[in-house]
Amino acid sequence: MKRIATVIIATLCISLSAMSQDVTIHAVNQPAAAVFRSIMQQTGKNFVYSSELLSGMKVTVSARKRPLKKVLDDIFTGTDIEYNIKGKNVILKRKPRKTDKQNVTRNINPLPSVTQPTINPKELDEVIVISRLEPPAVETSDLGARKVTADEVINTPALFGEPDVIKALHTEPGVSEGTEGTAGMYVHGGNADENLYMLDNVPLYQVNHFAGLFSAFNTDIIRYIDFFKSSMPAKYDGRLSSFMDVRLQNGKTEGHHGTARLGLTSGTFNISGPINDNTTYLIGLRRSWYDLLTVPAMALINSGHEEKVRFHYYFMDLNGKLTHRFSSKATGFISVYFGDDMLKTGSKDNDFDGDFSGFAGNDKYNFHWGNLIAQTGLNYRISADVKAEFTAAYTRYFSSLSHHEIYKENDGNGIITTEDRMKTKNNINDWIFRADFDWLPGDNSHVRFGADYIRHSFLPARTSRVSVTESTSIESRDSTWTYGGNEFNAYIEDDWRINDRFRINAGFHASLFNIERKMKYGLAPRMSFSYRPADNIAVKAAYSRTTQYVHQLTQSYLSLPTDQWIPVTGNLKPQTADKIAIGGYWQAANGTWAVSVEGYYKWMHNLLDYCEEYYLKPPLEMWNARLTTGRGTAKGIDIKVEKRIGRLTGQASYSLAWSDRTFANKNGGQTYPARFDNRHTINLLLNWEINDRVQLNARWTGHSGNRFTLMPQMWETPSFNNGFGYVVDEVPLRTPLNNYQLPFYHRLDLSCTIKNSRGYWTFGLYNAYNHMNTIAITRGYNDETGVSADGSYYSSRPVFQKVKLLPIIPSISYTWQF
Amino acid sequence: MAILSRIYPIALAAVLTGCYESFTPDIDTTPVLCLNSLITAGVPIEYSVTRTWLYTDANGSTDHGVNDAEITLHVNGKPESISYIPQEGDQIHIVAESPTYGKAEAEVTVPVCTPIESLEWEADVTDKWEWVDPEAPEDTYVTTYLINLKARMTIADPAATENYYHFAHNIFSTDEGSQPGVTVLSPVSFYSGTFRYEAEPIFSEHIGILDAISGSDAYGFTFFTDRQFSEKSYTLNLKFEGMRCDVRSEGLTDDMLECGMIFTLNTVSQSYYNWSNYQWQIDNGTIGDLGDIGLGDPVQGYSNVSTGAGVVAAQAGTRYTVNLKDFLKKEILESRNL
Repeated sequence: MKRIATVIIATLCISLSAMSQDVTIHAVNQPAAAVFRSIMQQTGKNFVYSSELLSGMKVTVSARKRPLKKVLDDIFTGTDIEYNIKGKNVILKRKPRKTDKQNVTRNINPLPSVTQPTINPKELDEVIVISRLEPPAVETSDLGARKVTADEVINTPALFGEPDVIKALHTEPGVSEGTEGTAGMYVHGGNADENLYMLDNVPLYQVNHFAGLFSAFNTDIIRYIDFFKSSMPAKYDGRLSSFMDVRLQNGKTEGHHGTARLGLTSGTFNISGPINDNTTYLIGLRRSWYDLLTVPAMALINSGHEEKVRFHYYFMDLNGKLTHRFSSKATGFISVYFGDDMLKTGSKDNDFDGDFSGFAGNDKYNFHWGNLIAQTGLNYRISADVKAEFTAAYTRYFSSLSHHEIYKENDGNGIITTEDRMKTKNNINDWIFRADFDWLPGDNSHVRFGADYIRHSFLPARTSRVSVTESTSIESRDSTWTYGGNEFNAYIEDDWRINDRFRINAGFHASLFNIERKMKYGLAPRMSFSYRPADNIAVKAAYSRTTQYVHQLTQSYLSLPTDQWIPVTGNLKPQTADKIAIGGYWQAANGTWAVSVEGYYKWMHNLLDYCEEYYLKPPLEMWNARLTTGRGTAKGIDIKVEKRIGRLTGQASYSLAWSDRTFANKNGGQTYPARFDNRHTINLLLNWEINDRVQLNARWTGHSGNRFTLMPQMWETPSFNNGFGYVVDEVPLRTPLNNYQLPFYHRLDLSCTIKNSRGYWTFGLYNAYNHMNTIAITRGYNDETGVSADGSYYSSRPVFQKVKLLPIIPSISYTWQF
Repeated sequence: MAILSRIYPIALAAVLTGCYESFTPDIDTTPVLCLNSLITAGVPIEYSVTRTWLYTDANGSTDHGVNDAEITLHVNGKPESISYIPQEGDQIHIVAESPTYGKAEAEVTVPVCTPIESLEWEADVTDKWEWVDPEAPEDTYVTTYLINLKARMTIADPAATENYYHFAHNIFSTDEGSQPGVTVLSPVSFYSGTFRYEAEPIFSEHIGILDAISGSDAYGFTFFTDRQFSEKSYTLNLKFEGMRCDVRSEGLTDDMLECGMIFTLNTVSQSYYNWSNYQWQIDNGTIGDLGDIGLGDPVQGYSNVSTGAGVVAAQAGTRYTVNLKDFLKKEILESRNL
């Protein structure tokens, strides 16, 4: 252990080297904003400039693993623009005018040049604009698309101070968190399983740890997150509501850099750097450390007791990535992700292995579940206008749950052993082969097309049970539900800038899903349209259809290892959704403020859900028999105001939404509101950079309460003699589903980041004003005493009770940067 | 160990759940009729008509009778008097109507009894000892036999119907027991032992993955379906351990050794199976716990009555008696010869 620690510390010390960042870029006469966005993606730097500074500016530059400063020198030398790198911002402004230089063109070795045919020579007021990683909404045809940086995730206060990608997206209008504290995501009235989570373009089925309290993404190694909720790019399909692609960083090309973070619940260690001139690596490890506390705690608890209780839990995420540059045209990578949760619990009598009289028992529960992704890819520039990305990947979700119970009885004549072993597992294995192409046929058109083949293997459940008594041994095993499926997808889309005012993105995604020798298919047209009546105003409209072939069966709003992903088998049809959206966008001339208003209407078809009283059908019943099909609608308006510039930034959003469901075998076939039919939702997010060292972040969220099925009446349980030693005293009278709205939900989260020379401290307060929110209504008893009408005394009365969750929770973490 | 039986979902819920706060929800309620009846082939119909009550009405749980309800009965579409003796295959429609609480109705078909095709059993004495009964007027030696019984009951599931079953067992003996104030010492006393529910996997078929891994078992639940042996024969493995038979030395005759088990196989209506399964799920399953604390959907009470209150169920049964008389006689003779 000491040696390991020494190696780690030495590595960290050695790695405290240069902080410069390399850029690789090749652009010929490209819009400056597009070139800067590419640089931002590689370096994480924001570009800050006045709006007219780059108007019409085209850039030609070629650089391979050159320091950022040198690339910027290449771009701006000879122009009247100067830059200043300040923290995470690159600030651009016009040089004080000394000579009247217009239309400057200058070639710089090897081939960088900047052409500025339309720069206005007059001196500008120094109004600074920040250009984020994503292009301004007024410039694109997308609706409801976000590109979120790792910094934005880190600056969103979260439970236990754990930066969380999914919880950061909860601040977006139209995205509901569902049950408090969990990493659930319900987008525009959809269900939790209708979001496609990807890690570097490869689907991830289980994205949560610890029943959903934390998501499986290590924030410290994320480059950015693409998130789409309204107009869907043709590239993506397979889920109805949203697509989220988490892109990891590439390894650093100069020096070994990384971070080490220790928080309340987990620690991370991330490092990246060059292996040689052409190869880089990235390693990220996150692991919970509860077990460092629980192991000694359990030892203390067990001391002096006849029964030893076991409890051991951890979760872990391990990322690794190797990137190799074969040539100026080709870059390849290999990456691996492994994330798992492990829970071991049970109990054992102290004398189980020794002499005892009477009974002694040993009970073990082992739960293990997680994901594995292994992929390799090649990015290849076929020509100056065509890029290709080839990917081969394997993704696996697994869940293994076991229970082993042994009881021994010593009656004086010998030991009689009774044993019960139960094991269940479910898993999905996907092999993916994919080719994606980017083609720039001209300045105003961007064509994307590609295809993939996925070989699925589903094992939704395999359960075995062995019961061994003194004289019998019984083994039972349920039917093996293994399904092989073949999925084929192809897509094409063109993002076409018709002129300065009109832009259109039209595409098509086609899919085939073959299972049980039945072919199911999906044809998904996508279209979005943008009109800019003025430079800073845009009006957009979009239509998209999405298709989903797999569905998650879950009995709770938690993320549990018993959740099963199942394909659409038998006569089930793929789930589909049709969505229209319109939006209006305004951006202040200097880009400081941005306002968007988006409306949508979504029709969902062939939805699958558990039917009423599904739990009364034995688990051995095919899952199809436990499901019911139906439809749903969702509609709403999302309004967002953003302040993007300055030391105080943030956003305020409001959503007005409706969402309902209608299933043949649920609620008597009547339409009912969805569980997370939150009519009004308000989110406020503020990030205040007080100075270069201290930053305050605040998030306030408030929304109409979730829907809940409240059963206020009871009826007398029938007195059938069915042999039970237990009966339900009284039975709740059924009511329409989700007939009651829980109280208004609101919460304030705060965090403060204080930087020092080596890293930064983060202090957090979840639910800062300690408003415990109601998540359910239950029937209970109070401790009221009195005399009832018949003269008898009572010591409690039946009452309805609000179940409240999560009080104020402080957190602290330290991140060491090197 | 019980505390660990729900370790995963419940411990998590306990960690998450902060507190409870009493309140009165603003929600309209109207009482409706509740109709309960278990109809058994060959036995007059019994029923119960009550009303629903608001949960917070403390008196409601004890005072919810309905006196003004009228019951009408239709059998196979024809009106019948309420004293009708139901037969297997009858389609029975019961209507309860009250001027105060409205109308409740339900329909059930009395199942056709599936016979026990065969039953094989074997018993063995696992232990025996002698002792002097201190309550006897004179020194009476009592020999106690501990007996294990294994039985294999085969049933042939009939074609073209979806069947639900309930297995029940009782003991019988000549011991009439003690009357108040009088101690009667029967020469033979027979006590039931432990029925090993886990020995027959079909009694666990209703247990889901989440329930199983959280430690729920089939204890007490002997309902099952024909899903795994539809239109085929199936043999139930029935195992009883630790049955005890006390045999006194005085006054023993062969007739007094008449004791053993009565096995009943009821073919039950779907409503009876669903009701029993619902009870198990609420009491033992995790689904009820998750719903109570908001981490799952609340479980609605099972009912097949039009108002959503009550259960009208039906059953038709067949019996098989395992008489241990000859087995015990042989054991006693062997003991005495020794």
